[in-house]
Amino acid sequence: MWRWPSSRTVVVGSAVALFVVCCLLPIGYLLFTSLSSADAAYAALWIDARQRGLLWNTALLGTGTALLATAIGAPLGLALARTALPQKALLRLALAAPVLLPPYIVALAWTYLGSSRGIVSALAGRDLLSEWTYTLPAAIIVLSVVLYPLAMLATEVAVRRVDGRLEEAALVVAPAGRVLWRITLPLVAPSVFAAALVIFVLAVSEFGVPGLLRVRVYTTEVFTAFAALYDFSRAILVAVPLLLLCVVVAALAAAILGERLVSTRRGSGTPPALLDAWRKPAAIAAIVVVIVALGVPLVVLVREAMGAPSWSAVVGGSGDAIANSLLLAAAGATAVVSLAVWLGYARARARGRIGQLADVLLLVVFAVPSTIVGVGLIGLWNRPGVLGTVYGTDAMFLLAYLARFVPVAALALAASTRYVPVSHEEAAAVAGAGWLRTMSRIVVPQIRLGVAAAWVIAFILAFGELGVSVLVAPPGEATLPIRIYTIIANTPSSNVAVLALLQATVIFVPLAGLGALASVWEAR
Amino acid sequence: MSAAALVVTNVTKRFGAHRAVDSVSLEVAVGDAVVILGPSGCGKTTLLRLIAGLEVPDSGEISLNGTKVAGLGRSTVPPHQRGIGLVFQDLALWPHLTVRNNLEFVLGSVKSPRGERATRIYQALNLVRIEPLSARYPHELSGGEQQRVALARALVSQPRLLLLDEPLSSLDPELRTTLRAELARLQRDLGVTMVYVTHDRDDAAALADAVVEMRAGRIVSVSKLTRTEERV
Repeated sequence: MWRWPSSRTVVVGSAVALFVVCCLLPIGYLLFTSLSSADAAYAALWIDARQRGLLWNTALLGTGTALLATAIGAPLGLALARTALPQKALLRLALAAPVLLPPYIVALAWTYLGSSRGIVSALAGRDLLSEWTYTLPAAIIVLSVVLYPLAMLATEVAVRRVDGRLEEAALVVAPAGRVLWRITLPLVAPSVFAAALVIFVLAVSEFGVPGLLRVRVYTTEVFTAFAALYDFSRAILVAVPLLLLCVVVAALAAAILGERLVSTRRGSGTPPALLDAWRKPAAIAAIVVVIVALGVPLVVLVREAMGAPSWSAVVGGSGDAIANSLLLAAAGATAVVSLAVWLGYARARARGRIGQLADVLLLVVFAVPSTIVGVGLIGLWNRPGVLGTVYGTDAMFLLAYLARFVPVAALALAASTRYVPVSHEEAAAVAGAGWLRTMSRIVVPQIRLGVAAAWVIAFILAFGELGVSVLVAPPGEATLPIRIYTIIANTPSSNVAVLALLQATVIFVPLAGLGALASVWEAR
Repeated sequence: MSAAALVVTNVTKRFGAHRAVDSVSLEVAVGDAVVILGPSGCGKTTLLRLIAGLEVPDSGEISLNGTKVAGLGRSTVPPHQRGIGLVFQDLALWPHLTVRNNLEFVLGSVKSPRGERATRIYQALNLVRIEPLSARYPHELSGGEQQRVALARALVSQPRLLLLDEPLSSLDPELRTTLRAELARLQRDLGVTMVYVTHDRDDAAALADAVVEMRAGRIVSVSKLTRTEERV
């Protein structure tokens, strides 16, 4: 009996319904509230002098970060794709690692680095950096350090997708440099540009870095309006221009990327070695970037933490927050992947315009700034009745993680699912298997590494989440990021550094686990 | 007897333990059309790539028009300095460039005088009868039209040696016959030396002055032919 439509429809339909409730409703509620009043809508769109300043700072932060991160990441991606770098797998991992560090941890390291008693001052013998430690350019540098891996990975994937024959056809008449400039780079330019747009959106959505470096942008203004002034209406009004900016730019990026967002196809033919002459300089540049982006922040944190009288006492003092973080991140990652696996499947099997619209929607939802998601969640759940029983509990953290990380996990799992040919499912159906059995026995086992990777990424993102958590946390409850963010002002920096170091290093545990899992599975 | 346009002497190419091309020697006279015939995996494409300079022989030598271009285990002359035109099996048309710009890239690369480029592009496109399509992108063309663009691109630089790697394999039989005849006409009219790789004996019969048969990386026979259209 042919039963696919019923079970598939029920499961995928339920997943889509949950996605709407968890991810779309908070944003929809916020938009509806802001636009339901004519005055409020007018006020939201009115760009006064204060708004102009916010808009200017936000645009500068986004543009500066997108340009700098792409300038660092794109050449590295090209080098990874087209040169025989030594220890390439390890180098790629080290180069990509900064994107997994919570941005505010890197910002914290930056404040220690640039302070009048920091490493730079100690080495130079005079104060060089402290004057512009808390400035917009500093925020741009910190965010570029965290976000350049996105440009790097996007460029590497795009270059690998270029058919080697196209380059060979050009090599017959032109030298390698001209082939690179006229054939390879134009073919990868849309992907690099789209990555720059995504970086722009993530930079303007970021709350922790500008908050810590005291740069006034929309995200910090939303937080201040809500958490400091208790002015929910103003928080919503300030959120609307930022939300529109992010939605428009993310939609543009998704449109440029098209099918490439969930396609991991490699180009056919062996790519010619266009950049072999640059092997040594590229390797040196990559090592320098690893030192600056990964080594320096960790070393600075260690140096600062050395001033703490007892690391165990500091960690013990924040034991509840650490345990909370680990537990909530694990539960959140499990919930995120449980939902995303079905959404990813639906996206992978969707064709034409529906698939493209799904990509745009997922990327746009992922781009919504954390503080906006936080305000939307509060507006939606903080009310009398059944919904109110959820608000004020740890379930709000899980809702926050679902709202923020389901889209990116679904996109990643869609890319994995595409590796499984539809014919595998059809063969199972012909053999008499129902859809759920086909999924559990045929599809999911083939994407198990993708599922594990999605869980690890969701765990790392949830473990470092600050923007929503700080808004929706129940009274008296704290996660490690909230704890770090709230004690910075009134606790010795050495104690803060110990916790920041813990925050930064914990993410490498699940990563190592994933690596071990991958090697075991691939060996079979 | 004509001078040799291409001399391959005792060339071997290994991929790991596998000898893709094994001690192959071959000589092609100026203006001749040689078809290398053989089943998939026999090494014919690898031999073509060695001649083009896209692969480096492990041993042996390759000379073009009296100049040694490869030997002693390393490529001595890079592909773009060998004066060749190459048509790939999958055509490899650059998707981000129009038909005209696909050809313009070639002329710009070989430093053709700017004033002459438009004329040469016009002539090349006219030669393969697709001049009206010059503003289109590759994806806007049919399979046969793409084939003609690939041929025009290979010919526009007026190469001394034209290499073709199963260029007609993906076409339907009718179009294949038409293009095969056109290719034979072009080669004869232009007098360009041609090395054509295929597994199709009909291609060989229509195009070749000589057929070189390969098996397991080695040349097993060389036979002179009279082309079919000349016999008719």
